[in-house]
Amino acid sequence: MSSNATQNATHNAAERLERHPRESSTISHRLPVRPDIAPEPCAATQWIQNRHRSFRPRIGIVLGSGLGDLAEAIEQPTKIAYRDIPGFPEPKVAGHSGQLVLGLLEGAQVAVLQGRCHLYEGWSLEESLRPLRTVLELGIELLILSNASGGITPRFHSGQVVAIDSHINWLFQSTKSPNPHDSSGSILMRHDRTYDARWLAKAQETAEELGFALPCATYLATLGPNYETRAEYRAFGRLGADIVGMSTVPESILAMQLGIPVLAFSVVTNVANPDIPTATEHNDVLAWSSMARSRLEPLVSKIASKYFSTTNRNH
Amino acid sequence: MLDLYDKIQEACALIRKSWDHTPHAGIILGTGLGPLVSKIDVQAEFDYAQIPHFLRSTATSHRGRLICGLLGQVPVVAMEGRFHMYEGYRLDQITLPVRVMKALGAELLMVSNACGGMNPNFQAGDIMLIEDHINLMGANPLIGINDDRLGPRFPDMSQPYDPVLIKDALSIARSADIVAHQGVFVAVSGPNLETRAEYRFLRQIGADVVGMSTVPEVIVAVHSQMRTVGFSVITDMCLPDALEAADVAKIIAVANDAEPRLTTLLSGVLERDAKRNAQRR
Repeated sequence: MSSNATQNATHNAAERLERHPRESSTISHRLPVRPDIAPEPCAATQWIQNRHRSFRPRIGIVLGSGLGDLAEAIEQPTKIAYRDIPGFPEPKVAGHSGQLVLGLLEGAQVAVLQGRCHLYEGWSLEESLRPLRTVLELGIELLILSNASGGITPRFHSGQVVAIDSHINWLFQSTKSPNPHDSSGSILMRHDRTYDARWLAKAQETAEELGFALPCATYLATLGPNYETRAEYRAFGRLGADIVGMSTVPESILAMQLGIPVLAFSVVTNVANPDIPTATEHNDVLAWSSMARSRLEPLVSKIASKYFSTTNRNH
Repeated sequence: MLDLYDKIQEACALIRKSWDHTPHAGIILGTGLGPLVSKIDVQAEFDYAQIPHFLRSTATSHRGRLICGLLGQVPVVAMEGRFHMYEGYRLDQITLPVRVMKALGAELLMVSNACGGMNPNFQAGDIMLIEDHINLMGANPLIGINDDRLGPRFPDMSQPYDPVLIKDALSIARSADIVAHQGVFVAVSGPNLETRAEYRFLRQIGADVVGMSTVPEVIVAVHSQMRTVGFSVITDMCLPDALEAADVAKIIAVANDAEPRLTTLLSGVLERDAKRNAQRR
């Protein structure tokens, strides 16, 4: 495939749109990315496209702590270990295995990143984002992110699934746009549309159909790796954060910079009460995550089948 | 972080050549608080430059010596002068001495610092026991691949400062007629002091005092499963609506003035803790 892989992918999406005009509602408000200034796709994107020419994922999914099992629901999976993809870093934390899964979720073609590269592992922001950038460049129309977070607001309970509608970047680093011509100040740098309001509404509606409420939350990203002190929980609460975690924000920003709408779900693993010191164990986090899986997995599957399945167009 | 283990062993090996006690505590002395070492019965001392992988202490009023000896009857290893992020060092380098203290056998870290007071109930010269902290340095000493021999990947921070030791310190302060508070310490990278707007912000997010150290060392101590007690000497008051220009000479003078009171508290807490430990054994 030529170095115009991104343009081609965008093209393919446009072709599909023409063939199925009713689908346009699902991707109607991608942010404008001018094809003449589109960034060069990274080597990994071309590597994957050369090996899987017929594969055109429509949804990209990033699985967070303990949510890795959704990858098991992917049909006709092609699993590629990060270490086998040129330029991919390899995560080294319990609970993260590190592979890209290409396949079908409820009949929709998806590219799933199972395992994140966190900043606390010592990766640079750019390195940590390379797997996601690759998935974004495969031409997806929606990015679904998931993570495990600590609850700050007492409105939430442990094991609850929430949708992120805004974030606070407490990483003391910012994502440089992969687009060499985007020297900030342009519409691409406006963060107010990072989390897509229309997709959020669709997700909430779908959650309701599945029988649970999907409240919105402001997510604050810290560097980690230690969990927060009680004073930090109080501080973040005063700043307006509902939940706190160590990922997701750079990913959302990158997707926005490339003009792809984001739906971000968080599993609230432990609601902190700063007035009662309670130790957080990584194993507890994994346990709460698995409980929430019984909600998050059906939610993501149903979104795929409702809006992206090639066999079901009743939406 | 995978190279840390060997560095720790090399630093320990050098210290072990001239000192064979097991320290009960590691002590870090902050700005202007160095004179506390005169109370230590010195058995061995090292310039930081002598110890493999130790950094140079470049900050004002930080000597740069590691002292091994007895404080009261208790074996300790003390840093006269510490390293700061604003000197351009990485946090994992800055905190190496804490890991060395742990490797020598210390189970308790006693940290002190000079800080700016934002809680209006405090006064310059008062001492605050650190009850909790906010890391606002924009960095963390544990970033990197975790070495499980040194501690867990995701250390819990629900109680980084040992409440028993805070209680001890407050009770010693009461009987010695020393003003001591407890509160929240927020760490910033520095080196400039804060603007009035920053003081307002830091106060609003729940901090009582602000400084440029201590939090990295405490995070590493928690990671190493050490208990911690932290003493902040309030060297100037930072009230945004009545802010005076900072005078470093004055700050150091206030710290020096508070040092005997800090020594009373610190050695008192150390003595009680060592006694309790001996009874437990």
